[in-house]
Amino acid sequence: MEKKCLIELKCIEKEFDGEQVLKGISLSIRNREFVTLLGPSGCGKTTTLRIIGGFESPTSGDVLFEGRRLNDIPPYKREINTVFQRYALFPHLDVAENIAFGLRLRKLGEQEIQTKVRTMLELVGLRGFERRKVTSLSGGQQQRVAIARALVMQPRVLLLDEPLGALDLKLRKDMQLELKKIQQSTGITFIYVTHDQEEALTMSDTVVVMNHGIIQQIGSPTDIYNEPVNAFVADFIGESNILDGVMVRDELVRFCGRSFECVDKGFGEQTPVDVVIRPEDIKLTFPGDALLQGVVESIVFKGVHYEMMIRTEHFTFMVHSTLAEPVGKTVGLSVVPFHIHIMHKTEAAQ
Amino acid sequence: MKKYMAYPYGVWMLIFIIAPILLVVYYAFTDKSGALTLGNFTSMLSYTSIFGRSFLLAFAATVVCLLLGYPLAYIMSKQPPRWQNFYMMLIMLPMWMNFLLRTYAWMSILENNGFINQFLQNIGVIRLLNTLLRPEAPIEYLPLINTGGAVVLGMVYNFLPFMVLPIYNVLIKIDKKLIEAAQDLGAPSGAVFRKVIFPLSMPGVIAGITMVFVPAVSTFVISKTLGGGKEMLIGDLIDLQFMGNAYNPQLGSAIALVMMALVFLCMLIMNRFDDGSGEEGGLLL
Amino acid sequence: MKRFFQQFYLLLLFLFLYAPIFTLMLFSFNADKSRVIWHGFTLDWYAELFRDSTIIHSLYVTLIVAFASALLSTLLGTVAALGIHCMRRRTKGVYLTVNSIPMSTSDTIMGVTFMLLFAMLMLEKGYLTLILAHTTFSVPYVVLNVMPKLRQLDKNAYEAALDLGATPSQALQKVILPEIMPGIVTGAIMAFTLSVDDFVVSYFTAGTTSQPLSVVIYSMTRRRISPKINALSTLLFLAVLILLVIINFRQSRDESHKNAQKPKYQPLKGVEN
Repeated sequence: MEKKCLIELKCIEKEFDGEQVLKGISLSIRNREFVTLLGPSGCGKTTTLRIIGGFESPTSGDVLFEGRRLNDIPPYKREINTVFQRYALFPHLDVAENIAFGLRLRKLGEQEIQTKVRTMLELVGLRGFERRKVTSLSGGQQQRVAIARALVMQPRVLLLDEPLGALDLKLRKDMQLELKKIQQSTGITFIYVTHDQEEALTMSDTVVVMNHGIIQQIGSPTDIYNEPVNAFVADFIGESNILDGVMVRDELVRFCGRSFECVDKGFGEQTPVDVVIRPEDIKLTFPGDALLQGVVESIVFKGVHYEMMIRTEHFTFMVHSTLAEPVGKTVGLSVVPFHIHIMHKTEAAQ
Repeated sequence: MKKYMAYPYGVWMLIFIIAPILLVVYYAFTDKSGALTLGNFTSMLSYTSIFGRSFLLAFAATVVCLLLGYPLAYIMSKQPPRWQNFYMMLIMLPMWMNFLLRTYAWMSILENNGFINQFLQNIGVIRLLNTLLRPEAPIEYLPLINTGGAVVLGMVYNFLPFMVLPIYNVLIKIDKKLIEAAQDLGAPSGAVFRKVIFPLSMPGVIAGITMVFVPAVSTFVISKTLGGGKEMLIGDLIDLQFMGNAYNPQLGSAIALVMMALVFLCMLIMNRFDDGSGEEGGLLL
Repeated sequence: MKRFFQQFYLLLLFLFLYAPIFTLMLFSFNADKSRVIWHGFTLDWYAELFRDSTIIHSLYVTLIVAFASALLSTLLGTVAALGIHCMRRRTKGVYLTVNSIPMSTSDTIMGVTFMLLFAMLMLEKGYLTLILAHTTFSVPYVVLNVMPKLRQLDKNAYEAALDLGATPSQALQKVILPEIMPGIVTGAIMAFTLSVDDFVVSYFTAGTTSQPLSVVIYSMTRRRISPKINALSTLLFLAVLILLVIINFRQSRDESHKNAQKPKYQPLKGVEN
């Protein structure tokens, strides 16, 4: 099924006070897609979102909406709505009036407004909250009002700026699922900003990993997790052991003073690379059964698994395992070739 | 909402705040024909004693205001919230009555045949004083009005709220947890006050001192009405150069300029005690 | 015991603040010209006060100037605060520093500088000069009352309004103004009372035919003081009292509103600035 491209960013650059925040962002977003901009704070993800929303204009580059240039269209004329970070509900209006705010500006009839507001409240599970003051609501409820207020405008695109950041863990998990459900049922394109990698992987069709104003990787959650293109992405998406290594030749990499078989090729010969190994991909064996031996330095119970720090001669590995090993015990560490990820060394990853 | 919305006020400030100050500077350095001169400043030397007296009286008034006002603000901040509002209103109410009427009220109290003297006569204090101290030259009243003391009293009366309000505003904003933390760390209530509350209330104290000292040092109404013109202050001197018989705006500007500079200097020294915690200050009532 | 001393101290200081005012008021009902000895009750001074055309005219001047300058400074100050709020740190600092000059300059100096300015601009002293001067010393208070409200505003509120289809002016009207209204009202009230209370600046900027009340009182206190002034003080005091009660009522109603919304987390506070 071919979905056509809805929003396109072309070489967007943005400067604040001489500091370059975005360094050439190019991105195309298809209709009905759930796209997440993921990255640490200050990586430019919120600025990108604000440029799409029309609250900032790019220093150079174009924003296209169905092929039309959107740069100079003010926010109130865009078919795009936003759920703001701390919701930005209007405290002088009650719940229903907050939701009706945009409809009233469109000069819809009172009857129609009331119907739409009621439908929206139903959708976000706040029936009967019409006349409540927004300041009397809990964080989760305010969140729902903010979503309802934006959705009632029936936008083509909904921008969400870390909307779940202020909620506690349990509520956040529930809301993630609910948002995904809303997105699927309404068919609205969602562009979602978060620094929480788990959130990004759970909800998105496409994840855009950003750092220092540069897009590091665009891909499906599975691709991003399994095939990170560089050490930064690998480290940011889940925890990783990142080692300096040398690609001896195709399918053979040397690190920790040993040579390991791997599945990557095309790096050339004797090339310095980053080697990434996920903590859950390391299997603990008898010391004699593996190429690497190490001593258990610490162990912490994490609920589902134990997290162990295991010191080898050259590197201290983080290992996740459902079996605990006592501190001080010498163990062997083994990794199958498929789980050794080789990456080019990049500047941004430093 | 754009920053250009502030431009009209920017222009206004240029015309009505900056330009007048520059005018004062210009006048202060020129003579009547418009030629540059320092004569205005040299002729001010004969008024040194007036400057001295003004600063002394204003300083005295500020100290009294602080000594009376700090405990008042502190006690007020300890009252139940409902009462705090009421007390605030009581403090502000006289301040919103006309300044002249407030001063005028004291005239009838301090006059030679005013309330205090009447009262002292009636209970026989005057007679007692006469027999005890000065049998050869009996007095009919205590000289209260037209003294430096009356001027200080007038200043304290008029400007006390300016001391109380900023201190109070800072005190009520002090996090109660800080006090609990200090107690938790073993500070008795005296030490809590000395080591936590008082240092934290310094911005309010500084603002209060500024707001009392600045108007006190330049007033001419209080000295005229309660000082009887005997105790001439800088304010009177300036008034005389602009509105009085001595009409000489050049000299008046020079005096004003010097006073502004002196006050600025005082405030600069004061502000060294402040941590300069930004725009909020204690100035907001 | 400690509590008793505290209450006693409060009582003494409030006595100090109010005794002069109450004696002043009491003697407005005195049947004699004496301001000290009671001769019996009369309302003659009130009657005479209202027959005194100078005083009545000056009251009129005071009110005109107070209303005009309060209106002007509220407009100017509110718009300025909105602009200053959007400024970068540096320019904001410059604006706020210049803005604070009138508040930290003594009335006498301010009066003198206005006098020089108006002389240079060849503006004849009168209503206009009074209103200009009063507006100048009132705006800073409006700005300082509106700024905190703007800072309390969700930084995205304005953008949220735009996002929902409001034009910039609609966003201002429907979202920003309702939010900062308490600050604007307080600022306006302060501007009004500052203007009514002012003597010194008016003294230097009023013309002979446009003397506000305080200037007239000043010229009276220098000659013979009539108990008419006591009567006037009483009336003014009552007017201010009524005004304050209304404001306080408004404030405590706002406060109880807020408390009702967040009963658990909002600690009881004293005066909301």
